[in-house]
Amino acid sequence: MLTKRQKTFNYILAAVLLVLSLFFLFPVIWMLANSFKGDAAITADMNTVSAFIPPALNGSFFENYVSILTNTSFLRYMANTLFYAAVLIVLGIVVNGLAGYALAKIKFPFRERWVLVILLLQIVPMETIITIHFLMIAKMGLLNTIVGYILPMIVNPFNIFLFRQVFLSLPDDVYEAAQLDFCSPIKYFFTMVLPMSKTVVATVSVFTFLGVWNDYLWPSLVFTSSDLLTAQIGLNSITANENTTMGQTLAVITLVTIPVIIIYSLFSKQIVEGVTSTGSKEG
Amino acid sequence: MKRKKSNSLLGMAFFGPALVLLTVFLFIPMILTLVFSFTDFFALNPGLTHFVGFENYINIFQDELFLQSFFNTVKFVLIIVPCQSLGALGLALLINRVTICKKYFKVAFFVPVVMSLAVVSTLWMQIYSPEGILNTLLGNLGIAAQPFIHSAKQALPSIALMSVWQGVGYQMIIFLGGLQAINPALYEAAEMDHASGWQKFKDITLPELKPLCVFVFITVTIGAFRMIVQPMVMTGGGPSHSTYTMVYNIYETGTVNWEIGIASTMAIVFAIFVMILTVIQSILTRDKEEKKHVNKKTKNL
Repeated sequence: MLTKRQKTFNYILAAVLLVLSLFFLFPVIWMLANSFKGDAAITADMNTVSAFIPPALNGSFFENYVSILTNTSFLRYMANTLFYAAVLIVLGIVVNGLAGYALAKIKFPFRERWVLVILLLQIVPMETIITIHFLMIAKMGLLNTIVGYILPMIVNPFNIFLFRQVFLSLPDDVYEAAQLDFCSPIKYFFTMVLPMSKTVVATVSVFTFLGVWNDYLWPSLVFTSSDLLTAQIGLNSITANENTTMGQTLAVITLVTIPVIIIYSLFSKQIVEGVTSTGSKEG
Repeated sequence: MKRKKSNSLLGMAFFGPALVLLTVFLFIPMILTLVFSFTDFFALNPGLTHFVGFENYINIFQDELFLQSFFNTVKFVLIIVPCQSLGALGLALLINRVTICKKYFKVAFFVPVVMSLAVVSTLWMQIYSPEGILNTLLGNLGIAAQPFIHSAKQALPSIALMSVWQGVGYQMIIFLGGLQAINPALYEAAEMDHASGWQKFKDITLPELKPLCVFVFITVTIGAFRMIVQPMVMTGGGPSHSTYTMVYNIYETGTVNWEIGIASTMAIVFAIFVMILTVIQSILTRDKEEKKHVNKKTKNL
Protein backbone atom coordinates (compact mmCIF):
# COMPACT_ATOMS: atom_id res chain seq x y z
CA MET A 1 0.00 0.00 0.00
CA LEU A 2 1.20 3.44 -0.87
CA THR A 3 1.21 6.00 1.88
CA LYS A 4 -0.35 9.40 1.22
CA ARG A 5 3.08 10.99 0.98
CA GLN A 6 4.18 8.48 -1.63
CA LYS A 7 1.01 9.12 -3.60
CA THR A 8 1.57 12.89 -3.70
CA PHE A 9 5.21 12.28 -4.65
CA ASN A 10 4.03 10.08 -7.50
CA TYR A 11 1.67 12.76 -8.83
CA ILE A 12 4.36 15.44 -8.66
CA LEU A 13 6.84 13.15 -10.40
CA ALA A 14 4.34 12.38 -13.15
CA ALA A 15 3.62 16.09 -13.60
CA VAL A 16 7.32 16.93 -13.84
CA LEU A 17 7.86 14.14 -16.38
CA LEU A 18 4.84 15.26 -18.38
CA VAL A 19 6.17 18.82 -18.72
CA LEU A 20 9.63 17.45 -19.51
CA SER A 21 8.25 15.13 -22.19
CA LEU A 22 6.28 17.94 -23.83
CA PHE A 23 9.41 20.13 -24.00
CA PHE A 24 11.34 17.15 -25.27
CA LEU A 25 8.82 16.36 -27.99
CA PHE A 26 8.19 19.92 -29.15
CA PRO A 27 10.12 19.43 -32.43
CA VAL A 28 8.07 16.34 -33.26
CA ILE A 29 4.74 17.95 -32.32
CA TRP A 30 5.65 21.00 -34.39
CA MET A 31 6.63 18.77 -37.32
CA LEU A 32 3.33 16.86 -37.28
CA ALA A 33 1.11 19.90 -36.77
CA ASN A 34 2.75 21.97 -39.49
CA SER A 35 3.04 19.20 -42.05
CA PHE A 36 -0.66 19.90 -42.73
CA LYS A 37 -0.18 23.66 -43.28
CA GLY A 38 0.86 25.92 -46.13
CA ASP A 39 3.96 28.04 -45.62
CA ALA A 40 1.93 31.22 -45.02
CA ALA A 41 0.04 29.52 -42.18
CA ILE A 42 3.25 28.09 -40.71
CA THR A 43 4.82 31.56 -40.52
CA ALA A 44 1.61 33.17 -39.25
CA ASP A 45 1.18 30.55 -36.50
CA MET A 46 4.82 30.63 -35.45
CA ASN A 47 4.36 33.04 -32.56
CA THR A 48 1.14 31.53 -31.17
CA VAL A 49 0.08 28.27 -29.60
CA SER A 50 -1.34 27.26 -33.00
CA ALA A 51 2.23 26.46 -34.03
CA PHE A 52 1.70 23.18 -32.18
CA ILE A 53 -1.86 22.53 -33.29
CA PRO A 54 -2.85 21.07 -36.67
CA PRO A 55 -5.18 23.23 -38.80
CA ALA A 56 -8.91 22.60 -39.05
CA LEU A 57 -9.82 19.61 -41.20
CA ASN A 58 -10.74 20.96 -44.61
CA GLY A 59 -10.17 20.27 -48.30
CA SER A 60 -6.52 21.28 -48.26
CA PHE A 61 -5.66 19.37 -45.07
CA PHE A 62 -3.57 16.71 -46.81
CA GLU A 63 -2.33 19.02 -49.58
CA ASN A 64 1.38 18.72 -48.67
CA TYR A 65 1.16 14.95 -48.49
CA VAL A 66 -0.77 14.70 -51.75
CA SER A 67 1.68 16.91 -53.61
CA ILE A 68 4.66 14.93 -52.28
CA LEU A 69 3.09 11.63 -53.29
CA THR A 70 1.95 12.81 -56.71
CA ASN A 71 4.47 15.44 -57.83
CA THR A 72 7.71 13.84 -56.70
CA SER A 73 9.24 10.36 -57.08
CA PHE A 74 8.85 9.83 -53.37
CA LEU A 75 6.66 6.71 -53.62
CA ARG A 76 9.22 5.26 -55.99
CA TYR A 77 12.01 5.87 -53.43
CA MET A 78 9.91 4.21 -50.73
CA ALA A 79 9.25 1.20 -52.99
CA ASN A 80 12.97 0.99 -53.89
CA THR A 81 13.96 0.92 -50.25
CA LEU A 82 11.36 -1.73 -49.39
CA PHE A 83 12.65 -3.84 -52.25
CA TYR A 84 16.32 -3.48 -51.18
CA ALA A 85 15.35 -4.29 -47.60
CA ALA A 86 13.42 -7.42 -48.68
CA VAL A 87 16.34 -8.67 -50.80
CA LEU A 88 18.86 -7.99 -48.04
CA ILE A 89 16.69 -9.69 -45.41
CA VAL A 90 16.41 -12.87 -47.51
CA LEU A 91 20.07 -12.97 -48.59
CA GLY A 92 21.24 -11.96 -45.11
CA ILE A 93 19.28 -14.76 -43.43
CA VAL A 94 20.53 -17.35 -45.92
CA VAL A 95 24.21 -16.34 -45.92
CA ASN A 96 24.60 -15.37 -42.25
CA GLY A 97 22.23 -18.11 -41.06
CA LEU A 98 24.10 -20.87 -42.91
CA ALA A 99 27.41 -19.54 -41.60
CA GLY A 100 26.04 -19.34 -38.07
CA TYR A 101 24.82 -22.91 -38.32
CA ALA A 102 28.19 -24.13 -39.57
CA LEU A 103 29.94 -22.38 -36.68
CA ALA A 104 27.49 -23.82 -34.16
CA LYS A 105 26.89 -27.41 -35.27
CA ILE A 106 29.17 -28.63 -38.05
CA LYS A 107 32.67 -29.73 -37.15
CA PHE A 108 35.04 -28.38 -39.76
CA PRO A 109 38.72 -27.37 -39.64
CA PHE A 110 39.56 -24.17 -37.71
CA ARG A 111 35.95 -23.69 -36.64
CA GLU A 112 36.83 -22.15 -33.26
CA ARG A 113 39.33 -19.82 -34.95
CA TRP A 114 36.59 -18.61 -37.28
CA VAL A 115 34.29 -17.93 -34.34
CA LEU A 116 37.02 -15.75 -32.84
CA VAL A 117 37.56 -13.94 -36.16
CA ILE A 118 33.83 -13.24 -36.49
CA LEU A 119 33.81 -11.90 -32.95
CA LEU A 120 36.81 -9.64 -33.60
CA LEU A 121 35.37 -8.33 -36.89
CA GLN A 122 32.57 -6.69 -34.93
CA ILE A 123 34.92 -4.10 -33.47
CA VAL A 124 36.07 -2.81 -36.87
CA PRO A 125 34.18 0.42 -37.60
CA MET A 126 32.63 0.22 -41.09
CA GLU A 127 33.56 3.84 -41.79
CA THR A 128 37.18 2.69 -42.06
CA ILE A 129 36.62 0.65 -45.19
CA ILE A 130 33.80 2.58 -46.84
CA THR A 131 36.29 4.35 -49.15
CA ILE A 132 37.66 1.00 -50.32
CA HIS A 133 34.13 -0.38 -50.80
CA PHE A 134 33.36 2.62 -52.96
CA LEU A 135 36.58 2.15 -54.95
CA MET A 136 35.90 -1.59 -55.42
CA ILE A 137 32.33 -1.08 -56.54
CA ALA A 138 33.46 1.68 -58.90
CA LYS A 139 36.21 -0.56 -60.38
CA MET A 140 33.70 -3.39 -60.87
CA GLY A 141 31.55 -0.94 -62.84
CA LEU A 142 28.74 -1.42 -60.34
CA LEU A 143 28.27 2.19 -59.24
CA ASN A 144 24.66 3.26 -59.49
CA THR A 145 23.41 -0.34 -59.69
CA ILE A 146 21.31 -2.31 -57.25
CA VAL A 147 23.89 -5.13 -57.20
CA GLY A 148 26.66 -2.68 -56.29
CA TYR A 149 24.57 -1.33 -53.45
CA ILE A 150 23.55 -4.71 -52.07
CA LEU A 151 26.71 -6.84 -52.42
CA PRO A 152 28.82 -5.33 -49.59
CA MET A 153 25.86 -5.29 -47.21
CA ILE A 154 24.87 -8.98 -47.25
CA VAL A 155 27.40 -10.48 -44.89
CA ASN A 156 27.21 -9.25 -41.29
CA PRO A 157 29.55 -10.63 -38.60
CA PHE A 158 27.17 -9.52 -35.86
CA ASN A 159 24.27 -11.50 -37.37
CA ILE A 160 26.47 -14.56 -37.98
CA PHE A 161 27.39 -14.51 -34.32
CA LEU A 162 23.77 -14.00 -33.26
CA PHE A 163 22.64 -16.98 -35.36
CA ARG A 164 25.47 -19.11 -33.97
CA GLN A 165 24.53 -18.36 -30.37
CA VAL A 166 20.91 -19.36 -31.00
CA PHE A 167 21.74 -22.47 -33.06
CA LEU A 168 24.12 -23.69 -30.33
CA SER A 169 21.11 -24.48 -28.17
CA LEU A 170 19.39 -26.59 -30.85
CA PRO A 171 19.34 -30.33 -30.06
CA ASP A 172 21.86 -32.46 -32.00
CA ASP A 173 19.66 -35.54 -32.19
CA VAL A 174 17.13 -33.89 -34.49
CA TYR A 175 19.95 -33.26 -36.94
CA GLU A 176 21.07 -36.88 -36.73
CA ALA A 177 17.49 -38.11 -37.19
CA ALA A 178 17.21 -35.94 -40.28
CA GLN A 179 20.44 -37.48 -41.62
CA LEU A 180 18.96 -40.98 -41.27
CA ASP A 181 15.89 -39.77 -43.06
CA PHE A 182 18.12 -38.91 -46.04
CA CYS A 183 17.19 -35.31 -45.59
CA SER A 184 19.88 -33.24 -47.26
CA PRO A 185 21.62 -30.85 -44.85
CA ILE A 186 20.65 -27.74 -46.84
CA LYS A 187 17.02 -28.87 -47.00
CA TYR A 188 17.17 -29.68 -43.28
CA PHE A 189 18.44 -26.16 -42.58
CA PHE A 190 15.59 -24.45 -44.43
CA THR A 191 12.76 -26.79 -43.39
CA MET A 192 13.78 -27.50 -39.80
CA VAL A 193 16.43 -25.15 -38.40
CA LEU A 194 15.02 -21.81 -39.56
CA PRO A 195 11.39 -22.60 -38.63
CA MET A 196 12.61 -23.72 -35.19
CA SER A 197 14.39 -20.39 -34.69
CA LYS A 198 11.65 -17.90 -35.57
CA THR A 199 12.69 -15.43 -32.89
CA VAL A 200 16.22 -14.88 -34.14
CA VAL A 201 15.01 -14.80 -37.75
CA ALA A 202 12.51 -12.09 -36.78
CA THR A 203 15.14 -10.13 -34.85
CA VAL A 204 17.63 -10.21 -37.71
CA SER A 205 14.91 -9.25 -40.21
CA VAL A 206 13.74 -6.29 -38.13
CA PHE A 207 17.25 -4.97 -37.57
CA THR A 208 18.16 -5.49 -41.23
CA PHE A 209 15.07 -3.56 -42.28
CA LEU A 210 15.82 -0.70 -39.90
CA GLY A 211 19.45 -0.64 -41.03
CA VAL A 212 18.55 -0.47 -44.72
CA TRP A 213 15.72 2.01 -44.18
CA ASN A 214 17.81 4.45 -42.12
CA ASP A 215 21.17 4.06 -43.88
CA TYR A 216 22.50 7.24 -45.40
CA LEU A 217 26.23 7.09 -46.17
CA TRP A 218 26.49 4.00 -48.37
CA PRO A 219 23.42 4.63 -50.60
CA SER A 220 24.47 8.28 -50.97
CA LEU A 221 27.81 7.04 -52.37
CA VAL A 222 26.50 4.31 -54.66
CA PHE A 223 23.39 5.88 -56.13
CA THR A 224 23.41 8.90 -58.38
CA SER A 225 20.44 8.09 -60.60
CA SER A 226 17.16 9.32 -59.20
CA ASP A 227 15.42 6.11 -60.25
CA LEU A 228 17.32 4.00 -57.75
CA LEU A 229 17.53 6.31 -54.72
CA THR A 230 16.52 5.09 -51.28
CA ALA A 231 13.96 7.01 -49.22
CA GLN A 232 16.60 8.77 -47.09
CA ILE A 233 18.60 10.00 -50.10
CA GLY A 234 15.41 10.81 -52.01
CA LEU A 235 14.18 12.83 -49.06
CA ASN A 236 17.36 14.85 -49.25
CA SER A 237 17.00 15.51 -52.96
CA ILE A 238 13.35 16.54 -52.51
CA THR A 239 14.00 18.94 -49.63
CA ALA A 240 17.05 20.41 -51.41
CA ASN A 241 14.78 21.41 -54.32
CA GLU A 242 14.01 25.12 -54.14
CA ASN A 243 10.36 24.62 -55.05
CA THR A 244 9.71 22.42 -52.04
CA THR A 245 7.86 24.34 -49.33
CA MET A 246 8.52 24.04 -45.61
CA GLY A 247 5.19 22.26 -45.13
CA GLN A 248 6.10 19.74 -47.82
CA THR A 249 9.50 19.18 -46.22
CA LEU A 250 7.78 18.36 -42.93
CA ALA A 251 5.35 16.06 -44.77
CA VAL A 252 8.22 14.14 -46.45
CA ILE A 253 10.09 13.51 -43.22
CA THR A 254 6.86 12.38 -41.56
CA LEU A 255 6.20 9.97 -44.44
CA VAL A 256 9.74 8.53 -44.26
CA THR A 257 9.25 7.84 -40.56
CA ILE A 258 5.87 6.07 -40.85
CA PRO A 259 7.17 2.62 -41.96
CA VAL A 260 9.69 2.67 -39.09
CA ILE A 261 6.94 3.51 -36.62
CA ILE A 262 4.87 0.59 -37.95
CA ILE A 263 7.85 -1.77 -37.54
CA TYR A 264 8.53 -0.50 -34.02
CA SER A 265 4.92 -0.88 -32.92
CA LEU A 266 4.66 -4.39 -34.38
CA PHE A 267 7.98 -5.60 -32.99
CA SER A 268 8.48 -3.34 -29.98
CA LYS A 269 8.94 -6.30 -27.68
CA GLN A 270 11.72 -7.87 -29.77
CA ILE A 271 13.41 -4.53 -30.33
CA VAL A 272 13.38 -3.46 -26.69
CA GLU A 273 14.55 -6.93 -25.68
CA GLY A 274 17.31 -6.65 -28.27
CA VAL A 275 18.32 -3.23 -26.96
CA THR A 276 18.33 -4.21 -23.31
CA SER A 277 19.96 -7.60 -23.91
CA THR A 278 22.88 -6.07 -25.85
CA GLY A 279 23.23 -3.81 -22.85
CA SER A 280 23.16 -6.47 -20.18
CA LYS A 281 25.01 -9.07 -22.23
CA GLU A 282 28.00 -6.85 -22.84
CA GLY A 283 27.65 -4.83 -19.68
CA MET B 1 37.85 -40.73 -41.49
CA LYS B 2 35.20 -40.62 -44.16
CA ARG B 3 32.80 -38.84 -41.85
CA LYS B 4 35.32 -36.18 -40.96
CA LYS B 5 35.97 -35.44 -44.61
CA SER B 6 32.30 -35.04 -45.43
CA ASN B 7 31.88 -32.77 -42.41
CA SER B 8 34.59 -30.40 -43.54
CA LEU B 9 33.00 -30.32 -46.98
CA LEU B 10 29.62 -29.67 -45.43
CA GLY B 11 31.11 -26.99 -43.17
CA MET B 12 32.54 -25.22 -46.17
CA ALA B 13 29.26 -25.52 -48.06
CA PHE B 14 27.49 -23.76 -45.19
CA PHE B 15 30.24 -21.31 -44.25
CA GLY B 16 31.53 -20.78 -47.81
CA PRO B 17 29.15 -18.09 -49.08
CA ALA B 18 29.74 -15.97 -45.99
CA LEU B 19 33.48 -16.60 -46.20
CA VAL B 20 33.66 -15.39 -49.81
CA LEU B 21 31.76 -12.20 -48.97
CA LEU B 22 33.75 -11.66 -45.77
CA THR B 23 36.95 -11.98 -47.77
CA VAL B 24 35.93 -9.67 -50.59
CA PHE B 25 34.15 -7.02 -48.51
CA LEU B 26 35.91 -7.13 -45.14
CA PHE B 27 39.33 -8.83 -45.16
CA ILE B 28 40.57 -7.45 -48.49
CA PRO B 29 39.32 -3.88 -47.82
CA MET B 30 40.94 -3.96 -44.37
CA ILE B 31 44.27 -5.12 -45.81
CA LEU B 32 44.02 -2.64 -48.69
CA THR B 33 43.31 0.22 -46.27
CA LEU B 34 46.39 -0.69 -44.29
CA VAL B 35 48.57 -1.05 -47.41
CA PHE B 36 47.27 2.13 -49.06
CA SER B 37 47.89 4.10 -45.86
CA PHE B 38 51.63 3.78 -46.60
CA THR B 39 51.29 4.99 -50.22
CA ASP B 40 50.39 8.15 -52.10
CA PHE B 41 47.71 6.26 -54.07
CA PHE B 42 45.61 8.74 -56.07
CA ALA B 43 42.71 6.88 -57.69
CA LEU B 44 42.55 9.18 -60.73
CA ASN B 45 46.20 8.44 -61.53
CA PRO B 46 46.98 5.01 -60.07
CA GLY B 47 50.11 4.59 -62.24
CA LEU B 48 52.03 7.11 -60.15
CA THR B 49 51.62 5.32 -56.84
CA HIS B 50 54.68 5.14 -54.57
CA PHE B 51 55.37 3.54 -51.26
CA VAL B 52 55.94 6.45 -48.87
CA GLY B 53 56.44 4.74 -45.51
CA PHE B 54 55.09 6.66 -42.56
CA GLU B 55 55.03 9.95 -44.47
CA ASN B 56 51.20 10.11 -44.54
CA TYR B 57 51.01 9.47 -40.81
CA ILE B 58 53.43 12.35 -40.15
CA ASN B 59 51.75 14.61 -42.70
CA ILE B 60 48.17 14.27 -41.47
CA PHE B 61 49.19 15.31 -37.97
CA GLN B 62 50.64 18.49 -39.49
CA ASP B 63 47.60 19.03 -41.70
CA GLU B 64 45.46 21.81 -40.24
CA LEU B 65 42.22 20.46 -41.66
CA PHE B 66 42.83 16.97 -40.26
CA LEU B 67 43.70 18.41 -36.86
CA GLN B 68 40.59 20.56 -36.96
CA SER B 69 38.39 17.61 -37.91
CA PHE B 70 40.02 15.63 -35.11
CA PHE B 71 39.43 18.32 -32.48
CA ASN B 72 35.86 18.90 -33.73
CA THR B 73 35.23 15.18 -33.22
CA VAL B 74 36.69 15.40 -29.72
CA LYS B 75 34.42 18.41 -28.99
CA PHE B 76 31.40 16.43 -30.19
CA VAL B 77 32.40 13.58 -27.89
CA LEU B 78 32.94 15.92 -24.93
CA ILE B 79 29.47 17.45 -25.27
CA ILE B 80 27.50 14.37 -26.30
CA VAL B 81 28.90 11.74 -23.92
CA PRO B 82 28.14 13.40 -20.55
CA CYS B 83 24.82 14.92 -21.68
CA GLN B 84 23.51 11.74 -23.26
CA SER B 85 24.74 9.29 -20.60
CA LEU B 86 23.66 11.36 -17.60
CA GLY B 87 20.43 12.44 -19.30
CA ALA B 88 19.55 8.83 -20.04
CA LEU B 89 20.37 7.77 -16.47
CA GLY B 90 18.30 10.65 -15.01
CA LEU B 91 15.31 9.88 -17.21
CA ALA B 92 15.53 6.18 -16.42
CA LEU B 93 15.63 6.87 -12.67
CA LEU B 94 12.58 9.15 -12.88
CA ILE B 95 10.58 6.85 -15.13
CA ASN B 96 11.48 3.84 -13.00
CA ARG B 97 9.91 5.56 -9.96
CA VAL B 98 6.75 6.89 -11.59
CA THR B 99 3.66 4.68 -11.63
CA ILE B 100 1.25 6.91 -13.56
CA CYS B 101 1.49 6.80 -17.38
CA LYS B 102 4.79 4.89 -17.20
CA LYS B 103 4.32 3.48 -20.67
CA TYR B 104 3.64 6.91 -22.21
CA PHE B 105 6.88 8.29 -20.76
CA LYS B 106 8.91 5.35 -22.06
CA VAL B 107 7.52 5.86 -25.55
CA ALA B 108 7.72 9.68 -25.48
CA PHE B 109 11.46 9.82 -24.84
CA PHE B 110 12.07 6.99 -27.31
CA VAL B 111 10.32 8.71 -30.26
CA PRO B 112 13.42 10.49 -31.68
CA VAL B 113 15.35 7.18 -31.67
CA VAL B 114 12.88 5.89 -34.24
CA MET B 115 13.60 8.76 -36.63
CA SER B 116 16.54 8.43 -39.02
CA LEU B 117 19.61 10.67 -38.94
CA ALA B 118 18.55 12.33 -42.21
CA VAL B 119 15.02 12.98 -40.91
CA VAL B 120 16.20 14.44 -37.61
CA SER B 121 18.79 16.60 -39.36
CA THR B 122 16.23 17.92 -41.84
CA LEU B 123 13.72 18.62 -39.07
CA TRP B 124 16.24 20.46 -36.90
CA MET B 125 17.42 22.56 -39.84
CA GLN B 126 13.89 24.01 -39.71
CA ILE B 127 13.88 24.20 -35.91
CA TYR B 128 17.24 25.99 -35.89
CA SER B 129 16.44 28.32 -38.81
CA PRO B 130 16.92 32.07 -38.04
CA GLU B 131 13.17 32.75 -38.09
CA GLY B 132 12.37 29.23 -36.92
CA ILE B 133 10.29 27.95 -34.07
CA LEU B 134 13.15 27.75 -31.57
CA ASN B 135 14.12 31.40 -32.06
CA THR B 136 10.44 32.35 -31.78
CA LEU B 137 10.14 30.44 -28.50
CA LEU B 138 13.35 32.00 -27.20
CA GLY B 139 12.10 35.43 -28.32
CA ASN B 140 9.04 34.98 -26.10
CA LEU B 141 11.41 34.40 -23.19
CA GLY B 142 13.23 37.64 -24.08
CA ILE B 143 16.29 35.96 -25.59
CA ALA B 144 17.69 37.47 -28.79
CA ALA B 145 17.64 35.36 -31.96
CA GLN B 146 20.58 32.96 -32.18
CA PRO B 147 22.32 31.92 -35.43
CA PHE B 148 22.65 28.25 -34.31
CA ILE B 149 23.96 26.14 -37.23
CA HIS B 150 24.74 29.26 -39.27
CA SER B 151 27.61 30.42 -37.08
CA ALA B 152 31.00 28.79 -36.67
CA LYS B 153 30.72 29.22 -32.92
CA GLN B 154 27.28 27.68 -32.34
CA ALA B 155 27.04 25.09 -35.13
CA LEU B 156 28.93 22.31 -33.33
CA PRO B 157 27.12 22.58 -29.96
CA SER B 158 23.78 22.89 -31.81
CA ILE B 159 24.37 19.66 -33.74
CA ALA B 160 25.71 17.95 -30.60
CA LEU B 161 22.58 18.82 -28.60
CA MET B 162 20.36 17.64 -31.42
CA SER B 163 22.28 14.37 -31.44
CA VAL B 164 21.77 14.02 -27.66
CA TRP B 165 18.06 14.66 -28.17
CA GLN B 166 17.90 11.91 -30.74
CA GLY B 167 19.96 9.32 -28.88
CA VAL B 168 19.08 9.73 -25.21
CA GLY B 169 15.96 7.52 -25.35
CA TYR B 170 17.96 4.50 -26.49
CA GLN B 171 20.30 4.54 -23.50
CA MET B 172 17.32 5.34 -21.26
CA ILE B 173 15.77 1.99 -22.24
CA ILE B 174 19.07 0.22 -21.50
CA PHE B 175 19.25 1.85 -18.05
CA LEU B 176 15.60 1.02 -17.34
CA GLY B 177 16.37 -2.62 -18.12
CA GLY B 178 19.30 -2.45 -15.71
CA LEU B 179 17.22 -0.82 -12.96
CA GLN B 180 14.54 -3.46 -13.25
CA ALA B 181 17.17 -6.18 -12.95
CA ILE B 182 18.32 -4.96 -9.52
CA ASN B 183 17.22 -7.34 -6.79
CA PRO B 184 14.40 -5.62 -4.80
CA ALA B 185 15.59 -7.44 -1.67
CA LEU B 186 18.57 -5.06 -1.58
CA TYR B 187 16.24 -2.07 -1.23
CA GLU B 188 14.06 -3.87 1.32
CA ALA B 189 17.11 -4.60 3.42
CA ALA B 190 18.22 -0.96 3.17
CA GLU B 191 14.75 0.21 4.22
CA MET B 192 14.95 -1.94 7.33
CA ASP B 193 18.15 -0.07 8.15
CA HIS B 194 16.28 3.24 7.61
CA ALA B 195 18.55 4.25 4.74
CA SER B 196 17.68 7.58 3.09
CA GLY B 197 16.78 7.80 -0.59
CA TRP B 198 20.21 9.22 -1.42
CA GLN B 199 21.98 6.48 0.52
CA LYS B 200 19.99 3.84 -1.34
CA PHE B 201 20.90 5.44 -4.66
CA LYS B 202 24.59 5.80 -3.76
CA ASP B 203 25.08 2.40 -2.13
CA ILE B 204 22.74 0.16 -4.13
CA THR B 205 21.57 1.67 -7.44
CA LEU B 206 24.89 3.15 -8.61
CA PRO B 207 27.12 0.15 -7.79
CA GLU B 208 24.58 -2.23 -9.36
CA LEU B 209 24.40 -0.08 -12.50
CA LYS B 210 28.14 0.49 -12.77
CA PRO B 211 28.88 -2.12 -15.47
CA LEU B 212 25.97 -0.79 -17.49
CA CYS B 213 27.26 2.77 -17.06
CA VAL B 214 30.63 1.75 -18.49
CA PHE B 215 28.88 0.07 -21.41
CA VAL B 216 26.65 3.09 -22.14
CA PHE B 217 29.51 5.56 -21.69
CA ILE B 218 31.72 3.80 -24.24
CA THR B 219 28.98 3.04 -26.78
CA VAL B 220 27.96 6.70 -26.74
CA THR B 221 31.62 7.72 -27.11
CA ILE B 222 32.09 5.44 -30.11
CA GLY B 223 28.83 6.69 -31.61
CA ALA B 224 29.89 10.33 -31.21
CA PHE B 225 33.29 9.50 -32.71
CA ARG B 226 31.54 8.26 -35.85
CA MET B 227 29.54 11.48 -36.37
CA ILE B 228 29.14 12.37 -40.05
CA VAL B 229 25.56 12.34 -41.38
CA GLN B 230 24.23 15.23 -39.28
CA PRO B 231 26.90 17.77 -40.33
CA MET B 232 26.76 16.41 -43.89
CA VAL B 233 23.04 17.12 -44.16
CA MET B 234 22.86 20.28 -42.05
CA THR B 235 26.03 22.29 -42.57
CA GLY B 236 28.23 20.50 -45.11
CA GLY B 237 30.91 20.54 -42.39
CA GLY B 238 30.81 24.33 -42.12
CA PRO B 239 30.64 27.19 -41.35
CA SER B 240 34.43 27.42 -41.88
CA HIS B 241 34.89 23.69 -41.16
CA SER B 242 33.57 24.11 -37.61
CA THR B 243 31.50 20.90 -37.85
CA TYR B 244 33.89 18.91 -40.06
CA THR B 245 34.46 15.56 -38.35
CA MET B 246 37.08 12.83 -38.77
CA VAL B 247 34.79 10.48 -40.67
CA TYR B 248 33.61 13.36 -42.84
CA ASN B 249 37.24 14.10 -43.65
CA ILE B 250 37.92 10.43 -44.53
CA TYR B 251 34.80 10.37 -46.69
CA GLU B 252 35.64 13.53 -48.64
CA THR B 253 39.34 12.77 -49.03
CA GLY B 254 38.59 9.29 -50.31
CA THR B 255 35.42 9.54 -52.36
CA VAL B 256 35.39 13.18 -53.50
CA ASN B 257 39.11 13.95 -53.90
CA TRP B 258 40.03 10.31 -54.66
CA GLU B 259 43.15 10.61 -52.45
CA ILE B 260 42.87 7.01 -51.30
CA GLY B 261 46.35 6.96 -49.72
CA ILE B 262 45.71 9.83 -47.31
CA ALA B 263 42.12 8.74 -46.69
CA SER B 264 43.36 5.27 -45.73
CA THR B 265 45.86 6.74 -43.29
CA MET B 266 43.10 8.78 -41.65
CA ALA B 267 40.88 5.70 -41.58
CA ILE B 268 43.57 3.67 -39.82
CA VAL B 269 44.08 6.41 -37.22
CA PHE B 270 40.31 6.58 -36.72
CA ALA B 271 39.99 2.80 -36.46
CA ILE B 272 42.78 2.68 -33.87
CA PHE B 273 40.90 5.17 -31.68
CA VAL B 274 37.62 3.26 -31.97
CA MET B 275 39.24 -0.12 -31.38
CA ILE B 276 41.10 1.17 -28.29
CA LEU B 277 37.74 2.32 -26.91
CA THR B 278 36.15 -1.04 -27.69
CA VAL B 279 38.98 -2.95 -26.03
CA ILE B 280 38.79 -0.70 -22.94
CA GLN B 281 35.06 -1.40 -22.83
CA SER B 282 35.42 -5.15 -23.00
CA ILE B 283 38.21 -5.15 -20.39
CA LEU B 284 36.26 -2.97 -17.97
CA THR B 285 33.00 -4.86 -18.32
CA ARG B 286 34.60 -8.30 -18.26
CA ASP B 287 36.50 -7.31 -15.13
CA LYS B 288 33.23 -6.39 -13.45
CA GLU B 289 31.58 -9.63 -14.44
CA GLU B 290 34.46 -11.67 -13.09
CA LYS B 291 34.34 -9.77 -9.82
CA LYS B 292 30.61 -10.37 -9.59
CA HIS B 293 31.28 -14.01 -10.26
CA VAL B 294 33.92 -14.16 -7.55
CA ASN B 295 31.58 -12.39 -5.15
CA LYS B 296 28.86 -14.90 -5.83
CA LYS B 297 31.30 -17.74 -5.34
CA THR B 298 32.56 -16.41 -2.02
CA LYS B 299 28.99 -15.87 -0.90
CA ASN B 300 28.16 -19.44 -1.75
CA LEU B 301 31.09 -20.62 0.33
